[in-house]
Amino acid sequence: MELLQNIIVILIFLVALGYLITKFVWTPAFLKKKDDDGCGTGGCGC
Amino acid sequence: MAKQINVALIGNPNTGKTSVFNHLTGLNQQVGNYPGITVEKKEGICKLDRGVKAHILDLPGTYSLNASSLDENVVIELLLNKNDKDYPDVAVVISDVENLKRNLLLFTQIKDLGIPTILAINMADRMERKAISLDIPKMEERLKTRIALISSRKNTGIDVLKELITEYRSINTEPCINASIIAPAYFDRLRKAFPKQDLYKLWLVITQDVNFGKLERNEMKTISSFKTESDSNLKRLQQKETIVRYKYINEVLKETQTIDVANAKDLRTRLDRILTHKVWGYVIFFAILLLIFQVIYDWSQYPMDAIDTAFASMSEWVQTNLPEGKLTDLLAEGIIAGLGGIVIFIPQIAFLFLFISVLEESGYMSRVVFLMDRVMRRFGLSGKSVVPLISGTACAIPAVMATRNIESWKERLITILVTPFTTCSARLPVYLIIISLVIPDEKFLFFNLQALTLMLMYLIGFGAAIGSAWILNKILKIKSKSFFVVEMPNYKMPLLKNVGINVLEKTKSFVVDAGKIILAISIVLWVLASFGPNEKFNQAEDIVTTQLEAEGGINTFPDAEAYQAEIDKLVASQKLEHSYIGYMGKAIEPIVEPLGYDWKIGIALITSFAAREVFVGTLATIYSVGDAEEETIKNRMAGEVNPVLGTPRFNFASGISLLLFYAFAMQCMSTLAIVKRETNTWKWPMIQLVAMTAIAYVAALAAFQILK
Repeated sequence: MELLQNIIVILIFLVALGYLITKFVWTPAFLKKKDDDGCGTGGCGC
Repeated sequence: MAKQINVALIGNPNTGKTSVFNHLTGLNQQVGNYPGITVEKKEGICKLDRGVKAHILDLPGTYSLNASSLDENVVIELLLNKNDKDYPDVAVVISDVENLKRNLLLFTQIKDLGIPTILAINMADRMERKAISLDIPKMEERLKTRIALISSRKNTGIDVLKELITEYRSINTEPCINASIIAPAYFDRLRKAFPKQDLYKLWLVITQDVNFGKLERNEMKTISSFKTESDSNLKRLQQKETIVRYKYINEVLKETQTIDVANAKDLRTRLDRILTHKVWGYVIFFAILLLIFQVIYDWSQYPMDAIDTAFASMSEWVQTNLPEGKLTDLLAEGIIAGLGGIVIFIPQIAFLFLFISVLEESGYMSRVVFLMDRVMRRFGLSGKSVVPLISGTACAIPAVMATRNIESWKERLITILVTPFTTCSARLPVYLIIISLVIPDEKFLFFNLQALTLMLMYLIGFGAAIGSAWILNKILKIKSKSFFVVEMPNYKMPLLKNVGINVLEKTKSFVVDAGKIILAISIVLWVLASFGPNEKFNQAEDIVTTQLEAEGGINTFPDAEAYQAEIDKLVASQKLEHSYIGYMGKAIEPIVEPLGYDWKIGIALITSFAAREVFVGTLATIYSVGDAEEETIKNRMAGEVNPVLGTPRFNFASGISLLLFYAFAMQCMSTLAIVKRETNTWKWPMIQLVAMTAIAYVAALAAFQILK
């Protein structure tokens, strides 16, 4: 059970880290939106 | 297959284009009762009769086809370029029944381009109160078009408008004015050079300094030979064109419009006299602001307390009922604690947007723009800079984009550079939590001290913006023309639907978009705080027990429970200090220590560079790691102690220092990206980042060193 919990935590961590990297550091071409204005109203990201 | 036509909605600012667009398309674009809401093209689909589908484009508001700002260029570039995929089959010019004379200038210009043009006269519901009557058949005959009398507020006349759009092919495309009467000799030469072209269209291509990149190169070469006229002569001809058009419009309105001034029940003039008064105008404005902040605090207190307690209980429930392990810890200490740090601020943010929307919708915001123009001029800004500065209270990104309607490049650049000083909604969570920790919840006169402090923070932000503008105005050596035209709309009872949509959209955007970032950062932080690189982390329990045994062990405690509690506390502290994040924080501690912060706050400063609101979530996560008792965020922060001085970590000196740091620092990556986009260079965002961070550091340092 503990091992399973550890594996899930690591997976969640990697997903979170990946999200932050693609959002703020580098977005791979296949993830880029057609009209990339960032999120939020008017692309405000907030 | 259904036929699709392109329909362009065009009109002066604040004529209700966006409302008409929403009615036609069923979409919910934000509307406001002040100019400059639409700065980019918005599009939607409207299903018409006979299987016709209309692709509706809501274009930025423009006073004429003589472009003087970026948003006006968008309109002209589209109307002069037949190759554009959005080139309209039919144009709908939205006009305000109370400002027909000025609105018709744009209508006649568009009609003269040979595009089938419908005139939609909006706000028809106000005609009776204003004692205005129109002879529509006569007006249709004189303007050679079809007219729809509509009210976007009452949702009347929209069906007629849809019908006219369907029948657009039957609309007369004859021009209102014969362009050659502007300058017969000049236009004669044009006609000879381009016998098959529309003269008025050519005239606009020659006189407008906009991007016609998609026009054929050969055509442009020949056209450029007609630019040999001096600029001043072209300007003189443009003025002449405007005079000719107004002369024509006056004649049309004389025959078709009657206004019985004696019967008008007009409160507007009387209200304007007070609200834009050179003394009372400012007094009323600041009184309204103060009232808003007071109410935000009073109304939000109970829902905020309820949310905070609910998240603490949720955390406790997870910890108690789920099987022990890292995933349970992550849920209780990372995810729930981090999310609590954002959800708690929903009530205050919703109330703030509620009041801003009511002010916008009522028409008062335009009076503020007019009022502030007098002040702004002295600081190198224009009255139009007030719109971005006020929009900046929500978010700097749309605010920076809203600078597009400022004609002067210098004023626009200065506004872009200073707008991030305005207190945006992302700063609000930081201010609210710090103020609640370091400012007493007491009354001063009739006002709550915490509410007064919050208002002061908004004034500091605004003061920093106009102070920096004054300096930039002295430093920047950019020459550009400047003038100020603003629409003064009528006062209106705010529409509940519009206000509701605005509050919902803004709050949703804040919670959902910021929430994703905060959740991700909370998870990463929790992992970094829950694992360490060496024995000092992994053997924390042994180290602490050995240390306590050396000091006398259990005998120095009243009972075994107290002894175990002390062990738990010291183990949590030892682990956090020697976790990955502990080492990272310690590395930057020397930089933030002079400001009164410890390494934990230092980590929050770094993570909140992505977005300011991450600050509270970060601290909530860091403080909850290893904490056996599930506390509210505020209590956790209040319980933090400076180990050297033995005083609370968040005291008056460090609290004020933090408030000032966040008031001035450029803690927003997205704003930097949008400034780069708007200025087309990294130079300005980098200057902005360095200058704002330096100001923030110095102000926070000075505050802490003086107050400690």
